Amino acid sequence: MTQNTGPSGVKRRQFLKVLGAAGAATTAVGCTNEQVEKLIPYLNSPDQTVPGVSTYYTTSCRECAAACGIIAEVRDGRAVKLEGNPDHPVNKGALCAKGQSGLQGLYNPDRYRGPMIREGGKLVPTTWDKAIDTLVQKLGESRGAAANAAFINGPDSGSFAGYLDGWLGGYGFGSHLQYDPGADLAVEAANLAGYGVAMPKLDFASAKLVISIGADYLDGWGASVPQQMAFADARAKLADGPRVIYIGARRSLTGLNADTWIACQPGGEEAIARALLSAVGGNGGTVAAAAQASGVTEATLQGIVDELRGTKPSLVVSGVSTPGAGVIAGLCVDINKAAGNVGVTVKPGEALTGFGTSVGVGAMQGIIERANAGTLKLLMVRGVNPAYDTPKAMGFAAAMAKVPFKVSFSSYPDETSELCDLVLPDDHALESWGDVQATPGTIGLQQPVMDRIFDTRASADVMMMAARKDATLAARYPQKSYRDVVVARYGSAALTAALPKGMVSGNITGRAAAPMSVPAGAMGGDGEFFLVTYPHATLGMGEGANKPWLQELPDPVSKIVWQSWVEIHPATAKRLGVAAGDHLTVTTASGAVTAPAYIYLGIRPDTVAVAHGQGHTRYGRYAENLGVNALDVLGATWNAAGGLALTQGKARVAKAAEHSQLVTLEGSARQHGRGIGQALTVAELVSGATTEHHELPGDASHEFLPGLRSPVANDAQGDLGDPTSKDKGMYDPNHWSGMAKRRWAMTIDLARCTGCSACVTACYAENNIPTVGARWQGRSLRPFHTADGAGWDTRPGANILKGREMAWLRIERYFEGGEDGSSEFDTRFVPMMCQHCGNAPCEPVCPVYATYHAPDGLNVQVYNRCVGTRYCSNGCPYKVRYFNWHGYGEKERRQYAFPEPLHLQLNPDVTVRGKGVMEKCTFCVQRVREAENLAKLENRELQPDEFTTACAQACPSRAIVFGDAADPNWSVAKMVENSRGYHVFEELNTFTAVVYLKKVNHPAAGSAAAAVPAAAAAPAQGAH
Amino acid sequence: MTSRSKWALAPAFFAIAIAATMLSAYSGASSSQGNSPVQPIQFPHPVHVKELGMNCLYCHNAANKSPDPGLPAVGTCMGCHTLIGPSRPAANGRPARTSEEIKKLQAFAPIGQPDKWKEIPWIRIHKLPEYVRFPHMRHVNAGVTCQSCHGPVQEMAQVYQNASLNMGWCLTCHVNGYQLSQGLEAAGDTVGAKAAAAAEPKKARYDCAVCHY
Repeated sequence: MTQNTGPSGVKRRQFLKVLGAAGAATTAVGCTNEQVEKLIPYLNSPDQTVPGVSTYYTTSCRECAAACGIIAEVRDGRAVKLEGNPDHPVNKGALCAKGQSGLQGLYNPDRYRGPMIREGGKLVPTTWDKAIDTLVQKLGESRGAAANAAFINGPDSGSFAGYLDGWLGGYGFGSHLQYDPGADLAVEAANLAGYGVAMPKLDFASAKLVISIGADYLDGWGASVPQQMAFADARAKLADGPRVIYIGARRSLTGLNADTWIACQPGGEEAIARALLSAVGGNGGTVAAAAQASGVTEATLQGIVDELRGTKPSLVVSGVSTPGAGVIAGLCVDINKAAGNVGVTVKPGEALTGFGTSVGVGAMQGIIERANAGTLKLLMVRGVNPAYDTPKAMGFAAAMAKVPFKVSFSSYPDETSELCDLVLPDDHALESWGDVQATPGTIGLQQPVMDRIFDTRASADVMMMAARKDATLAARYPQKSYRDVVVARYGSAALTAALPKGMVSGNITGRAAAPMSVPAGAMGGDGEFFLVTYPHATLGMGEGANKPWLQELPDPVSKIVWQSWVEIHPATAKRLGVAAGDHLTVTTASGAVTAPAYIYLGIRPDTVAVAHGQGHTRYGRYAENLGVNALDVLGATWNAAGGLALTQGKARVAKAAEHSQLVTLEGSARQHGRGIGQALTVAELVSGATTEHHELPGDASHEFLPGLRSPVANDAQGDLGDPTSKDKGMYDPNHWSGMAKRRWAMTIDLARCTGCSACVTACYAENNIPTVGARWQGRSLRPFHTADGAGWDTRPGANILKGREMAWLRIERYFEGGEDGSSEFDTRFVPMMCQHCGNAPCEPVCPVYATYHAPDGLNVQVYNRCVGTRYCSNGCPYKVRYFNWHGYGEKERRQYAFPEPLHLQLNPDVTVRGKGVMEKCTFCVQRVREAENLAKLENRELQPDEFTTACAQACPSRAIVFGDAADPNWSVAKMVENSRGYHVFEELNTFTAVVYLKKVNHPAAGSAAAAVPAAAAAPAQGAH
Repeated sequence: MTSRSKWALAPAFFAIAIAATMLSAYSGASSSQGNSPVQPIQFPHPVHVKELGMNCLYCHNAANKSPDPGLPAVGTCMGCHTLIGPSRPAANGRPARTSEEIKKLQAFAPIGQPDKWKEIPWIRIHKLPEYVRFPHMRHVNAGVTCQSCHGPVQEMAQVYQNASLNMGWCLTCHVNGYQLSQGLEAAGDTVGAKAAAAAEPKKARYDCAVCHY
């Protein structure tokens, strides 16, 4: 707390004066190296656009079936950011990582530039005229017989499905298939049979007990944004919220967010579901039988059964991926019906209507058989990649080769399109017209938010152009383009009125067929271990792998990036002599995959798990040659609805010779008593036991006083903090600028945060953060890391292995308990970004004043002052400062992170940092300034909660609140006073501007953890 | 500090001086003040602004609502120059004249053939250093005349960069305040300048992160 460095010390300012004197002598030397820049005007100004000012267009997200509403921010004709539409009933303004990455699909550098045709065995560019003529010719050759052609589309609940069937029907072909390898068809079928809708709304907040039998509703299963929102709202009820139990062989992100994990043996879920059905009065099974089948103790299962019997209302969700999933899903419907949950926690009336139109690999088998039999003459594929995302054992690619003519409508070169004879690249969803059923009675509209960037065409338009060249069909397509079809469907005036809202009332008719019913497969395989595979939380079944944001986004559970891994229990790893990173080969009758081991507490000792999504051979530069495709070890086994069984039985696991370091953003899985992520139990919360341990020393409102009124900022400001100083500049609260009247601050409610990481991608998108993990980006100036010392470091994620990731915002994931390998451990997710300390350790060590504390409470990084000493990073206890080791923003460097046209996504309001510069979270200072500018232009004061940061805007859990903590009218000012509030590392006297609110756990009644602590007892587990 | 330790600092001074020289040369911390490139069309600002009395915002119409002032679209030029062609007959005592520049403009934008219009590749003159934000609309709406920064454009037959655009130059106004009278003087409004002579200088925030982010 000293303002003086003492008689012998050199003050920073004196050092600066020295530097200034030396610099003065050199000013004459400066020379100009500016190049001639051109300013290119519009030919004619487009209406309603002002150069440099964003325009916003509503549209619908098409990255998954959930059909969230989005608003695309468009600057000077280019989409630069996607955000949720606050008025949309599905996502209410939030958007997941996948949805935000839609932009990287639009600007993907590997997109097809135009149509391609196979000539001489190779796909070569062609013209649209020639491409469509070829399509017309092939359609004509095959027309007439329904069996001659097949069209595989992605999931689409919009009216395009009916349009497509109409077009196919014109040629006498059968209806198209909507193939979705990731959809939980067993659940959709059981829900349709039981509730009448494929995906009812799950109202977690109305439940007192949630039991998920393998339903990973926070990992991308179903509609992740609305489910997560509902889940977080339930958790935010704190003591009144539900207790959550997760049953499954592997603890997914959903499992980590549960209070109790029942580590059930794969295949044992059905017996547990039967025991639960008995508990609510249904005709189920016994606990003893369940214990026998699941490998869980009878006492544990009896506890759950009793809990379900005694807790109303409850919510039981199934999402099992075994071949018997259909039976279990049906049992769960029965449980909810018997427990009286339908209409209370399961709401078919508010269904998510984007689901229930797709088929799985069971239907693909039919296509494979037709292709092998030689009856299929023409195969058309759009929006899916079956050559990659069907099990290799099914032989899709080989069967496809036998089809005489294959057409792809894919925008990206992928495993399927590369086998095709004609590629008619589709416009991206952000470039084309469409619609989608969002909720019952609401249709989400999809409109182009910008001009197309490449020579692509919307598939609907291509079909129209082809049909018009056919004498018998031409009359059916009088419209100029599919846009006219959409306009005609809703009426020009109605559509114009509805587009600003992004939705219109109504229901789409002519949707694709309901799920099929086929004989289910059976569990099988030989080997010591059960093998569980699961869709990657953000890469899905591989469709996200070509987007660098998603590759660089750590898996929420393992924190691994740019890599595949095999999850294995610590006890098993010890027994096999496997260390983290040692390669494991997993072998089944279908094939084998080899990937590094990730030692994970959240998996049964008799089970290994592999995520899907990687192992692409052809899907662009960001996806290729990374990891393994887990589908290689799966057989042609599906459930009764034809959905691929991702858990098919046993596998052999052997240690391989290789070892590769895990590319992970995890520092340590344990908190080591540091109290970074804190929690309390419901009992502690209710009893108020922890209010005695309020973690904010002193009075929170006092700390968030802005400018020099805060003793903390005083200390941080050196000379300006000198109480005898006459001119405190803008740090004076009475300064005319009023800048020191504000204190920007943030609260993060860990009771809400699920660790989904949508905020991380939002931060990448908003702040032009480069991704650094691609193979070629690891190439440094000097070759190293190879045995001979002569090569380049081309390991995927090489920069991340060296700790050079740039994630301004990351999600720390810590485990508490379970040190003995037991399944009883708690997980803490802690979003960690610059804490904008009132007393920042980074500030006084900067020799060039590049980082300092602004009067409005921001810890500022001035890029053009920074000379890259990295002292600040050494000083930061939160490790939230990131250094540009390479010129990620410089086009001519091989580490360039924005290859054309990815650079079009860059936010024009944020600097693209150069090599040698330190950077970190700015609290979205560009948004602060934008809001201030707008308020000034409108001649008014900034309104409370008028704007927020990118992370808070995207957060589907609404865990992040940002604002001015010095003004009581802002929400954040109330949140910082919460009794659950604490600062991370407050013992360091950093006086951070980020306040975390403790997580609230709901341990089982009667368990040791649930006991009410004595008032004087030590703080909750995890506190220091 | 003893004299001995003072001498010990001398090499450090030299080292810093060399480092600063290189840094300053590398960072391009210099100004293009006075830069006056020849444009593809010699647009005569004096004719449009001084003689015809056109407002700056007629062409640079985003300057009061966007950080980016905007360039006139070719269509804006042609709004008048479809009728005002290169040949001017003698009238009102002025001799007949042929304007080569309007010919050039109409070559870029042939009348009646909008599909043949081409962009005019203007050469950029004013460019701020990297890593700094300059919201035009805040300055224009605060009453800062365009000429305060861009100089007497109404007199410039060929536009040149009037100010250094270096940070120290920015801060003269931000810290000491903007004198409206000086701004009006630069804009050629001597009457207004006299009237505004007593006006209080208008200051602006000068915290780094107001502009640098």
